[in-house]
Amino acid sequence: METLLKTTNLCKSFDQLEVLRDINLRVAPGERVALLGPSGAGKTTLLKILAGLETPSSGTVENHARRTAFVFQEPRLIPWRSVKDNLLFVNPDGDYKEALHSVEMADFANYPPADLSGGMRQRVNLARALITQPDLLILDEAFHSLDLGIKTRLMESIQQRWQAKPFGLLCVTHDPKEALFLADRIVLLSTRPAAILMEIKTLSDQEQNIASPDFLARESKLIQLLSNKTQLD
Amino acid sequence: MKNFWRILAGIAILILLWQLAALGLNKSILIPAPSETLRILFHNFTTPATLLAAGQTLWKVLLALALAILLGLPLGLLLGLSDAAYNLLRPLIMVVQAVPVISWLSLVIFTWGIGWRGPVFISFLSLFPVAVLTTVAGVHDLDKDLLEMARLYQVPWKKVVRDIHLGSLLPFIAAILDVSIGQAWKVTLVSEYLCGGDGLGEAILTARMNVDIPSVWALTLGAVLLGLLSEAAIKSVLRRFRHAWKRS
Repeated sequence: METLLKTTNLCKSFDQLEVLRDINLRVAPGERVALLGPSGAGKTTLLKILAGLETPSSGTVENHARRTAFVFQEPRLIPWRSVKDNLLFVNPDGDYKEALHSVEMADFANYPPADLSGGMRQRVNLARALITQPDLLILDEAFHSLDLGIKTRLMESIQQRWQAKPFGLLCVTHDPKEALFLADRIVLLSTRPAAILMEIKTLSDQEQNIASPDFLARESKLIQLLSNKTQLD
Repeated sequence: MKNFWRILAGIAILILLWQLAALGLNKSILIPAPSETLRILFHNFTTPATLLAAGQTLWKVLLALALAILLGLPLGLLLGLSDAAYNLLRPLIMVVQAVPVISWLSLVIFTWGIGWRGPVFISFLSLFPVAVLTTVAGVHDLDKDLLEMARLYQVPWKKVVRDIHLGSLLPFIAAILDVSIGQAWKVTLVSEYLCGGDGLGEAILTARMNVDIPSVWALTLGAVLLGLLSEAAIKSVLRRFRHAWKRS
């Protein structure tokens, strides 16, 4: 079985503070994985290590993706460049119109980031990741500042994009709905130091109807599980 | 438009106070009347000798400013990026900043004698620490998250320098110019007065030696106006550059 991303006994500490403990994670090409865990567990640190932005204290990371894109929690847009230029900054040959269209921001290409709302800036952040045509897309609580309507539409847009051309997806969230909707597999993390508690297979795309009783029942179960597991830990 | 009238009113009040002080003292050797000063100003600044002196001061100011920016920016960048280099050179820069103009005089006179080098050197020394330390502050102010984003997307370093570093530093470069232009004029005039050999500072010295106080006031006012004009011109160039850079 091919591997896009793999960690072996990954640990991370900041001085005396242990953040990650023995993380063994594997993502296959085109696989979608959600890391679900409580706030402050160390999920962002894990993503940063996977993207090569942090070094682990021990253990190994293998990232075989040719292009990794990262949707940060905060937009990180260059304030003195327009939305269009922010996208072209990471990929000068990319189709910025298509990327902006997919996040419903096509009309804002020439706007400076300061003229956009927090949610709009976050959508540009996502568009900047999409313009690179990544084979590994990392989402770090990418939808946290968005209202439910646009959040659902953007998740659907990512689904459609994945269906057209599958790519590895690794998303961190503490929202069970987001995890159930976006991922093939959910990895449940404990409170800090984050360790993998268990893995859960999600429904197939055909069954992914966010309003269906089955989906809601699964969401409710997942919330209960998350609550019990993290409390137990 | 409201601001324009307010500025005009401020200038009018200043001239009125000046006129009242001149009338009250009634001694043109201390405070000449504004009308007399302005008359001498227009007369002086239409003579080739004063125009030449103004040109000599102007180029010294611009040369000192250019040297301070051209040498201060790269050094500031280096010190901003390296804590070790910053800690090593900071005491030296602080000393250069603290030494008064007058203390450089003997060094300058014994090295170059009377001439243009002294005023340029002394002006440069008064501007250089500001340029370096402001650039260091600019580098420290760089958004590390933006640099991390650029690293993640493997953006070429030239583009990172142009789009992130330069964009972040431009307001600081503007601040350097803002602080430095007025300072450059003041220090160059004083240096010319003390060891210049030519320029408006030397013309003020000559007027003072002839006890021609209205001329001292007129030349000083002329220097102030030239300072303000050069400041406006440099700021306009910087604005255009920023605009062009934003569109690039």
